[in-house]
Amino acid sequence: MKVSLQVNKKMVEIDVPPKKSLLDILRDDLGLIGTKKGCGKGECGACTVIFNGKRVNSCLVPALQLDGSKIITIEGLKNWSAFPMIEKAYIEHGAVQCGFCITGFVISTISLFVETSLPITNEQIKWSLGGNLCRCTGYTKIFEAVYDISNQIDTVQLIKRDWHNEFNN
Amino acid sequence: MNFDPKNYRIDASEKIRGEIRYTNDLKIPGLWQSITIRSPYPRAKILEIQFDSEFDWNTVTVVTASDIPNNYVAMLENDMPYLASKIVNYVGEPVALITAPDKNLLERASNFLHVIYEPLSYLTNMLDSEKSEVLIFSNNNIFKEIKIEKGDLEKIKQNNYKKVEIEVHTGFQEHLYLEPQCVIAIPEKDRVVIRGSLQCPYYVKNAVETMFDGKKHITVIHAPTGGAFGGKEDYPSLIAGHAALLAVKSGHPVAVTLDRFEDIQYTPKRHPSYHHEVAYVDKNGKIQGLEIQMYLNGGAYCTLSQVVLARAALTVTGCYYVPNVRIHAKAVATNIVPSGAFRGFGGPQAVFAIEMLMEKIACVLDLSPKKVREINLISKGQETATGQILKYSVSSQEVFEDVISRSDFDNKYRQYKEWNHPILEKLIEDRFPKNKNGGVLKGIGISASVHGAGFTGVGENKIKGVVRLELEQDGAITVYSAQTEMGQGQQTAFQKILSEALHIKRKQIKIAEVNTDVVPDSGPTVASRSTMVVGSLLVEAAKEIVEKLKLKLKNDFGVEFQYRQGYFYRDGHILSFTDAANEFGGFSVEKQYSHPSFIKFDETTWKGDAYPVFSWAAAVAEIEVDPITFQIKVTRYYTTHDIGKAINYDQAVAQIEGGSLQGIGYALYEKITEKDGLFDITGFSDYIIPSFMETPEFHIKILENPYPFGPFGAKGLGELPNVGSAPAIISALWMIFESEFNKIPVLPEDLHSIFLHINKRNYYES
Repeated sequence: MKVSLQVNKKMVEIDVPPKKSLLDILRDDLGLIGTKKGCGKGECGACTVIFNGKRVNSCLVPALQLDGSKIITIEGLKNWSAFPMIEKAYIEHGAVQCGFCITGFVISTISLFVETSLPITNEQIKWSLGGNLCRCTGYTKIFEAVYDISNQIDTVQLIKRDWHNEFNN
Repeated sequence: MNFDPKNYRIDASEKIRGEIRYTNDLKIPGLWQSITIRSPYPRAKILEIQFDSEFDWNTVTVVTASDIPNNYVAMLENDMPYLASKIVNYVGEPVALITAPDKNLLERASNFLHVIYEPLSYLTNMLDSEKSEVLIFSNNNIFKEIKIEKGDLEKIKQNNYKKVEIEVHTGFQEHLYLEPQCVIAIPEKDRVVIRGSLQCPYYVKNAVETMFDGKKHITVIHAPTGGAFGGKEDYPSLIAGHAALLAVKSGHPVAVTLDRFEDIQYTPKRHPSYHHEVAYVDKNGKIQGLEIQMYLNGGAYCTLSQVVLARAALTVTGCYYVPNVRIHAKAVATNIVPSGAFRGFGGPQAVFAIEMLMEKIACVLDLSPKKVREINLISKGQETATGQILKYSVSSQEVFEDVISRSDFDNKYRQYKEWNHPILEKLIEDRFPKNKNGGVLKGIGISASVHGAGFTGVGENKIKGVVRLELEQDGAITVYSAQTEMGQGQQTAFQKILSEALHIKRKQIKIAEVNTDVVPDSGPTVASRSTMVVGSLLVEAAKEIVEKLKLKLKNDFGVEFQYRQGYFYRDGHILSFTDAANEFGGFSVEKQYSHPSFIKFDETTWKGDAYPVFSWAAAVAEIEVDPITFQIKVTRYYTTHDIGKAINYDQAVAQIEGGSLQGIGYALYEKITEKDGLFDITGFSDYIIPSFMETPEFHIKILENPYPFGPFGAKGLGELPNVGSAPAIISALWMIFESEFNKIPVLPEDLHSIFLHINKRNYYES
């Protein structure tokens, strides 16, 4: 089936089987390999992307839901003005090890700050990132990175502005 | 070594940006996909492989056992075939391979290929293995048997010591790296290039070249690896062979990628274990004699079971001094997926068992579990079970004391006992609470753990790893080694070791891609050896670079130069390392490892220095048990690790957090039940690894008691955190319920049924 959708602010038109997952479309058809496949069953969170303003496991979204949708992946997110601050926090807190899960965590971090108003509690951070699994880090460094961002009011405002620009323009 | 908080990982940014290319992110033109046809039986004869003529077999390429020149994976015993030919020995064993340009065709083809089997009787219980009529390996199903004896246990048995006995069981554990197993093979004229997610490129090269009977040159290129934990030590040799066979036969590049279901079902797991331990103790709880019987379930093929057993047997006395000891350990065969390497490599099983024995001794003698451990901890100058006298870098007591005091163990132990009393009283009378207002049960437990750093016994002397450094004229140094980055931070550690050794900038150190045509064999990335063993070679090589530059300067200037803090100097002359490189760079140095000569081990008698040095840890776990659901949650986890020197402090702490959490999973969540050779798990939803919500508050501390032969004193780290966490958590269950826990994992339903048993027994006793 033919679907047209907006991926990282660019319109694309693709012809794919209706059941093909958004994850496979991103990776195979659009070459956006920053989104990873850890299970293909919506269990691990490695393929998290933003779909029409909500984060989803892209492996669970079939092509037939995609027409007219807006998608943001890590490739789009890294152009956001807030991204360098998020990247800095992740690097400085040593939150990355093998890295296979980490783009999913970055997307979930964005979602957390868009969905939750400040001040953010520790439990809200944990709950919000609870759907992203990591086998290397013991989560603590990731928590510290996100906690650090939650204390940077400017960064959080920037994330919200970037989000607004993405979905309201 | 200066502690610079800005020593961030060199690979962090490209990972966060999603720009790093893991195996399946590589763009390889004309890449074909593949499918593996697997045995549905734990043991069966293969009668025939039928190719249904309804399907056009010219559109795909099929490989069966008859296509393989040497049909065994060259490892320790060479007993595992690449593809089963006459008999299958486990559910999921590969029987045939198909490759095709697209997935639909592949799936269609697999529906038209029929393997006809005759099911045979099979064996899955490791304790039945030796006597079973089902013969899987040799004439007795024993992959390896180890006997270690010290002192005179028989004499101790005659004395009037208290005999304390325990049986201990540990379960499977799956690595569950986030990136499933995958390799790609690219065929060329007389060569096959393999790229993949793997730990040990030279293992793969050796295995696949042996498979082709030396008729193909194999180049292995390591791709960034999305977690491994031992799971990508031996297994990639199997699937790399599969990919290479398909690639050569089809003439196309071929990917072998396991989906999560295949990966969790059919790849190696941690060896399940059984232990029977008998201690002879005096009234203070001091162990005078110890007799240990241990079994590891090796599964259908040997893989690395022999060396896993060796490490388990050599670790089985834990952190304790035992004057008289007899150890009898066996790794046996069953019709289950072959067990393999997993972080700790037999250590977690061995330490869990001895720690449960410590709990039992405390329970039987009515002593505090802390005191029983304290009184038995080994110290400098004492001798291990193999007669190794610990002469340096021994911190068993320091880490123990530190974690006890940091966690306020003694006070909490007392307070929590008091707190639990009224809750337990009601529970024992079957008065289960209707809400949580009465509070949860609180427990605190301890463990002491140890990990022999580097290869077991004479392993390092067999490998004799080599590294090469190349100095460019711009002052850059490139490291050529076979060590692989899989998340543990090896590249960053190497960069840091060299920049510190030479006092030059970190960005001057480049790490060469691990390609077996280019890098020398510095040994596999296993056994917590990269930093300690290969890192020490890097320091040696760096020194030689300085000596060579000094020599060239002397030839040029006619005077001897000194090297300090990144500068060569002599009287009025001073020039930086980079200045000297500009002048004289463009050469390389190679260094080969040799064991310090006084470290000796005899693998026939199991006497001597089993490891060049040990890393030490102690842990305190605080848990809460919900008295309604029996859910167990680790709330705080304290651990103190002596690793000689933290090369990258921040990432060392991260390793400890991650490794400890894997141990928490091992103790409380990660359960695999095997029935008729089949596992009851399909993915993350029924094999539960800890998430953010199960992560405790970590309180990590690193002590640095240097190893004289490690880089800046560093010892092995990677595996140790995983060794002591399960026993610390289960120790907390002993503390709450004052009853025996001898089996992991303990899920809520397990705890509930154990509790009902305690309840009843106490009722009848009173």
